[in-house]
Amino acid sequence: MFDRLFLLVYEAVHRHKKRTLTAVVLVTLLFTAILPFIRYEGSIDLMLPPDREITRSMNFLKDSNLSDKMVVSLALTDSSMGKRELFEAVDSLAASLKKPYFKKVMTGFSVGNLMEEFSVLQYGPQILGDEEMSQIAAMLTPENVSKKIKGIYLQSMRPDGIFTASMSRTDPLGIKLMILNKLKAIPASMNFDVSIEDGHFISRDGRHAMLVIQTDVPMMDAVRSKGLVSELEAKLKLLPPYIAADIVSGHLHTVSNEKVIKRDIAVASYIASAAFLILFLGIFRDPKVIFVFIIPFMAVVWSIALATLVEGKLSFLVIGFGTSIAGISIDYGLLVYIAIKRGIDKVRMLKMAKLVTVDAMTTVFSFVVLFFSMIKGYHQLALFSILCVLICLLFSLFVLPLVISVKGEATERDSSVGDRLRNFKWPAKPCIAVWLILSAVALYQSMSVKFDSDLKRFDGTEPRILQMEKNFNTIWGGKDSQAIMVVTGKSLEEAMQLNDSLFKEASARLPKGEFSSLAYFWPSEKTRTENRARWLSFWKDGGEERLKSLIRSSSLQYGFTPEAFTPFFDGLYALPNEGQAATGVMAQLKERYVIERNGSVRLLSFFPDKKEYLDALAPIVKENTFIVSKLAISESMTRFTLKETKLLAPLAILFNILLAWIFFRSWKEALIALVPLFTGVVWFIGIMSFFNVPLNIVNIIAAIISTGVIVDYGLGMTYEYRYNLKLGTVVAVTLSAATNMIGSGALLFANYPALYSTGIAMVVCMVSGYLSSLIIIPSLISLMKPVETK
Amino acid sequence: MKIILILPTFLLMISAAFAAPEKTAEQPSDLPKFMSELGKRASDFKTLKTDFIQEKRMAMFKEKMVMKGRIYLQKPSKIAWHVDSPLRYSVLITDKLIRQWDEDSDKVQEISLTKNPIFQNVLNQMNVWFSGEYGTMLETNTVRIIKNDPLIMEFIPKEGNIAKKVIKTITITFRSDQKYLQQIKILENSGDVTTIRFTNTLLNPPLNNSNFEVKGRV
Repeated sequence: MFDRLFLLVYEAVHRHKKRTLTAVVLVTLLFTAILPFIRYEGSIDLMLPPDREITRSMNFLKDSNLSDKMVVSLALTDSSMGKRELFEAVDSLAASLKKPYFKKVMTGFSVGNLMEEFSVLQYGPQILGDEEMSQIAAMLTPENVSKKIKGIYLQSMRPDGIFTASMSRTDPLGIKLMILNKLKAIPASMNFDVSIEDGHFISRDGRHAMLVIQTDVPMMDAVRSKGLVSELEAKLKLLPPYIAADIVSGHLHTVSNEKVIKRDIAVASYIASAAFLILFLGIFRDPKVIFVFIIPFMAVVWSIALATLVEGKLSFLVIGFGTSIAGISIDYGLLVYIAIKRGIDKVRMLKMAKLVTVDAMTTVFSFVVLFFSMIKGYHQLALFSILCVLICLLFSLFVLPLVISVKGEATERDSSVGDRLRNFKWPAKPCIAVWLILSAVALYQSMSVKFDSDLKRFDGTEPRILQMEKNFNTIWGGKDSQAIMVVTGKSLEEAMQLNDSLFKEASARLPKGEFSSLAYFWPSEKTRTENRARWLSFWKDGGEERLKSLIRSSSLQYGFTPEAFTPFFDGLYALPNEGQAATGVMAQLKERYVIERNGSVRLLSFFPDKKEYLDALAPIVKENTFIVSKLAISESMTRFTLKETKLLAPLAILFNILLAWIFFRSWKEALIALVPLFTGVVWFIGIMSFFNVPLNIVNIIAAIISTGVIVDYGLGMTYEYRYNLKLGTVVAVTLSAATNMIGSGALLFANYPALYSTGIAMVVCMVSGYLSSLIIIPSLISLMKPVETK
Repeated sequence: MKIILILPTFLLMISAAFAAPEKTAEQPSDLPKFMSELGKRASDFKTLKTDFIQEKRMAMFKEKMVMKGRIYLQKPSKIAWHVDSPLRYSVLITDKLIRQWDEDSDKVQEISLTKNPIFQNVLNQMNVWFSGEYGTMLETNTVRIIKNDPLIMEFIPKEGNIAKKVIKTITITFRSDQKYLQQIKILENSGDVTTIRFTNTLLNPPLNNSNFEVKGRV
């Protein structure tokens, strides 16, 4: 059936040569013209597994406004300038950052407002819980009160007593220390080592100030992120010369990653193109070889357009693979070109077509395997790559002969290198022995290979931006990654109540101060009401009288008037001012802890992203609660990838074995043909392990793709040597390997880690696969009983 | 009759004298520049040693509190405040901590200022007054010159200035050479008044660690 179909199409295109070529050129021009209008996806989300935990965490990170914040650190670079100049710069920058890009700018808190909002008599009754009230009760002893009164007397002697002594009138017991302990956690809750001065965030060294900018631009929106970053950078350029700025923002990563990927793709394309041209023109000395070279590029253009029709938006990562796919797909054109140059007849052309088609099918099936993955990005990659391979195959079989053998003449000039390679006799047994030993070593090494699931490794952000983050962390801390405990509720109060009980449990399980929660500063209304009732009952039921009596007896010796602490007693039963919590510092704090989306409320609590903390908190995760942790995401990814690899790798191997058997109808020949595949996989894992380079989701997929290519070498070489065909397969496989290595080797010049990782995996697989097909297959076949024809 | 005429005239004069607006000194045309120059003059030292007498009239206490002692200051942010009477008491304040001692308890107590924005701000304010860096005061205070010789200035905290929550006015009297303060008078919103008079002030004296020790120093 293949023979009939092939000949039918082959003859048809030769009959309508002009029409065929015109149609190909026109469609290619059309697809090229629409390339600039195609939308690309820069996010790695597509490559993430659909695991419930990972999806929920990633969705949460996208929905929350956490990643839509930018932090700017301004530094004084001139020692003669001081805080005044620094704060002026902060204020003028903050004033210049306007909508639509910048939604809100926070430069600090007013400490004055902080003092008022968190005053003992306003704030204390609402947030001091059972434990703190017990502490207050324990303070009501003659010794303690006498000590406190003496403390106030001494405080009035201190220089700062000018500002603070009169405040003691509303706080004879020093309850403010309990509140101050809570306030200490406010800067810490930002995960920065920040101090507040004149209403501005300032570093401990007093030379840096910080602005927290909120924006509506989602971090993953590459186009708007670019606009946002340019706008901010333009504003920073207007700062005085003695101010330097560092930006920390996910948007910078998005913009930088896109820039790096684009640059990498361009560099890889230039390198691969130049190398292909030099190789082809140098070896064949025939300008028409340019058509072989053009085929993969045309296939990439066609595939981008067709895959976009199906997918809507293509990932940059998938397009990145296109460079390698181009290297892979050039083989078919090359085999056909060499065969035509050798002047083969229609019958041998048919044999060639069969080999090329099986080669293409092994590659296609190695991509088909990816459809069995649960990762959507792999489906896109599979679709794009299969299109690329099939288009290359069709062009090679039916279009290339139209432009190469114009008059049907043999045009081969020099095949001496290929023939020498073809006829070289490798010492079979020693070669097989060395191969077996090396493979055994690689197999042993591969047992201890490591797996790296850290997604940050695929972040190709430019060093300049990473340096800014390093500077920032040196000044402001915040290096440690934070995990988030999320509590959801239908209303703020419902979520806050759940948050209160969770906070109690979490605080008991983690070291003090490690769990930062809104419940610590501002519990739910229910808890606040209970706290206030407890406060009122404590003072009404004898607390007030007892304290008054104790103060009377101890204050006389220090000269206090009987009315010295009247403001405290007068304010004990005052009603709380709820308005402040809605507009003041508390409202700003809530922005960090509360997210309201689509009628539901999420309350966030933060803690260091450490395994022991995640383990400690796991038992208290209930319904409506979940933890977002990069560490947990990484662990889930490892589990998922290993699970998928266990399915995909055997499937890929099975497909290859089946295709090899279908082609040869002999197990022995099929197994010999699979030597490069075995060698490529085992040596790849062994070499990675030997050099202590961990496997990751990207290089595993790249290795699986490579298997589809190196299996072609095995099929071609086994076919060539076993049946002594002299189709020029050795030179074709060699050139193919060279082009593949150039295509994937070009990725070694990439700065984007995912592309670089792909390059390493493919080069290792291809080199080992090629060498085994060139040396081991002829050696193994030489040990077999020869066949004449099949 | 004469008495009848003289008495009203005298009363008129007395009342006129009281009714007349308070005499204020001429204000400099360029106050920021004036303040900046004054700040430079008054803060042109690295170390300082001075005796002081502090009087406090506070609603909390029956009697006026009078304290005598010494201050040692080392820029940028180290102040030792030693009280000799009525009670021996010492406190060291840096940008990171407060360390204090009193003879009664004979114990040293230390309070960390790290991550305590409120306390830190109070101490920063105080540091500005004692270190003479008045150049920045115009942003956070309304400033008025009351007298030119000796120079007396009044500072009223503006809205947004943390001091506004507690302080009504601060009046500063400079030494005749304007190189340091002679007196600070602080009127609080509560009506409490604190006056600190500085005597035997030495600018840039050699200071050693023992000046900043709290225990046993006084």
